[in-house]
Amino acid sequence: METLMDIFIYVVLFCYFASALLYWGGGKFHNSMAAKAALGLAILGCILHLAILVMRTALTGVLPLTNGLEFLLSFSWVTVLLYLLMQTRYPIQPAAGAVMLISALLVSLVVILMRDQLSAVAPLMPALKSPWLTVHVITAAVAYAAFALAAGLAAVQFFPAGQSIKDDYIYLLVGGGFALLSLSIVLGAVWAEQAWGRYWSWDPKETWALITWIIYAIYLHVYRSRDWPANTTRWMVIIGFGLVLFTFFGVNYLLPGLHSYA
Amino acid sequence: MQGFNRFYSLVSSMKTGLFLLFLIGVTAAVGSSVLPGSFYQIPVFKLLLLLLLINMILCTFNRIKLTFRVLLKRFGRRVWYRQLGIFTLHLGIILVLVGGLIYSVSGQNDRIHLLAGDRVDIAKVLDIRHPFTLQLDEFRIEFNEDGSPSQYISEVTVLENGQVTDQIAISVNHPLNYQGVKAYQTSFGYLVKAAYIAENGENKEGRFFEGEWLDPDGTNRRVRIYKYIPNFNPAYGMRSVTLRPDNPHIVFSVYENDKLLGIGAAKLNEPAQIDENVYVTFTGVEPYTILEVKSDPGLPLVLIGGCALMLGVCLAMLATPRRKKNMV
Repeated sequence: METLMDIFIYVVLFCYFASALLYWGGGKFHNSMAAKAALGLAILGCILHLAILVMRTALTGVLPLTNGLEFLLSFSWVTVLLYLLMQTRYPIQPAAGAVMLISALLVSLVVILMRDQLSAVAPLMPALKSPWLTVHVITAAVAYAAFALAAGLAAVQFFPAGQSIKDDYIYLLVGGGFALLSLSIVLGAVWAEQAWGRYWSWDPKETWALITWIIYAIYLHVYRSRDWPANTTRWMVIIGFGLVLFTFFGVNYLLPGLHSYA
Repeated sequence: MQGFNRFYSLVSSMKTGLFLLFLIGVTAAVGSSVLPGSFYQIPVFKLLLLLLLINMILCTFNRIKLTFRVLLKRFGRRVWYRQLGIFTLHLGIILVLVGGLIYSVSGQNDRIHLLAGDRVDIAKVLDIRHPFTLQLDEFRIEFNEDGSPSQYISEVTVLENGQVTDQIAISVNHPLNYQGVKAYQTSFGYLVKAAYIAENGENKEGRFFEGEWLDPDGTNRRVRIYKYIPNFNPAYGMRSVTLRPDNPHIVFSVYENDKLLGIGAAKLNEPAQIDENVYVTFTGVEPYTILEVKSDPGLPLVLIGGCALMLGVCLAMLATPRRKKNMV
C-alpha cells in the first residue's frame, strides 16, 4: 500500500499539471477536444487523489486530518472536487487552468516537502484526541479550498484574452469559505478551551487565521457596497489566499506555537 | 448637537468598523512576527479591540431598524433569512468581545503543583464564592506502544468542609468543571528521591526538584541533581528517547569550590560515587501534576456568542441571493 501511495501521488501530480496545461492550451486555441481531455485528467486525478486519502485512512485508522501532510492532501483534493462540482452548475470553466495549476502546485509541495511522511504512522498526541478535531479541520480544509478556487477565479480576470467570469461567483465562493472559516475558528476555540484552558491564546496560527478572516470580512462588506473598483476586490481575494497559504506554511515553518503539529 | 451627530455617525459607521478591523489585522500581523506571545497585551492593541466593540454595538444597533423593516415587509424568504443571519452573526461577535472583556476584568487563573496526596484550598488560589478543596489521589501518564504519551491523567477528589463531593479524572481535553471553576491538565514534573549520608552523619533520603543541590557528608563536593531522564540513551544526550521509563537515569553534576568536576548519568538504585567513600543513590522519582485552575465569568457569554456567530454566518451564506438584483 505504501508503494501504491507513492506511485499514485506522482500520477495525481501528472494529471493535475497536464490538465492545467491542456486547459490553458485548449482555451488559447479554442480546442474543445483539449478541454474534454483536461476535464478527464482532472477527474482521474481527483479519483486517485481520493484513493490516496482512503489508503492513508486505512493505514492510520483515523480520517486524514491530523497533521500538515494530511491537511495539505485533503485541502488540495477538496479544491479539485469543489471545482469539478461547481463547473457543472456555473460557467466558471475559464478558471479551470488556474485552479488545476494551484492544485498541482499544492500536491507538488507534498511531494517535495513531505513525501517520506506519506507512509509514516504515529499515534495521536493527547491534545489531538478529541471529537472536535474532525469538525475543526474539515471546515478549515473546505474553507481553504473555497478560497483557493476564488483566488483562481479572481486571477484569470486579469487575463482579458479568455472569457470573463462574473465576480458574483467569486463573491459566492468567498462567502461560503468565510462561513466555513468562521465555523472552523469558533469550533477550534471551543476545543482549545477544553484542551488548553483558553479559547483564544493569540497563538500564531490563531492570529493568522484571524487576519485571513479579517481580509475576507472586509471584502464581503466592500463588494456588496460596490464602493471599490472590481480589480481592487479581486486583488483582495488573491491576497487573501496568499494569507491562507501563509497561515498554513509560514506559521508552521517561521512562527512556532501551540499548533506546531499542523 | 450637529457636532455630536457627526461624531456619532463617525464612531458608529461601518467604514470606521472596517478600518478598525484592518488596523487590528495589520497590528496582529506585525505583532506576531516582532513580539510573538505578547503583542496582544499592548494597550494600543487592546484599545483597538475595545473601539471595535463600541463601533459594532452602535453599528448593529443602527441596523436593527433596517433589519426589522426587512423582516416585517415581504421581500421573500431568502432576504428575510439573510438579514436575520447577518444580524445574528454581528450580535455573536459582540457577545464574544464582551465575554472577552469580562474575562480581562474579572477572570482569574493560576497554576497549581500537586504530588499524590497533596490538598489545595482553591479559595486560596482564586477569589471564589464557593470554596472547595482539591486533592490529588494519583497522577499517571499512559503510553502508546511506541513509548509516546497517550494521556496524562490526574485523579482528583473534590472536598467541601472535609466531605467528599466529587471524584474525577482530569486529563488533556477533559477538564474539571466544578462550581464555576475549571481545572485543566497542563503539565507535570518529577521530584527526584536520593539516599545519602547527610552532614550530621545520618542516613537520609530526600526529595529534590530538578536543579536543586545536595550536600553529602564526608566531602566538600556538592551535587546538583540536574534532570530525570525516563528513557536514557547517551546518543540522545539530555533528551529522553521517550517519556516512558524504559531506562530511567538521573543526570547530575559534581562541583568542588564552585568548579564543575564532571557530569554523570546514574541508573536508579545504583550508587553514584561523588568522592572517595562518598556515594549518592537515586532511589526513584515522584511525579507531580501541574493543573491550571481558572474562573471565567465571561465564558457563557462567549459560548453563546460563538454559537450565534456560527448560526448567523451559515444562515446569511445559505440565503445569499443567486441573482444580483436581490442582494440587499
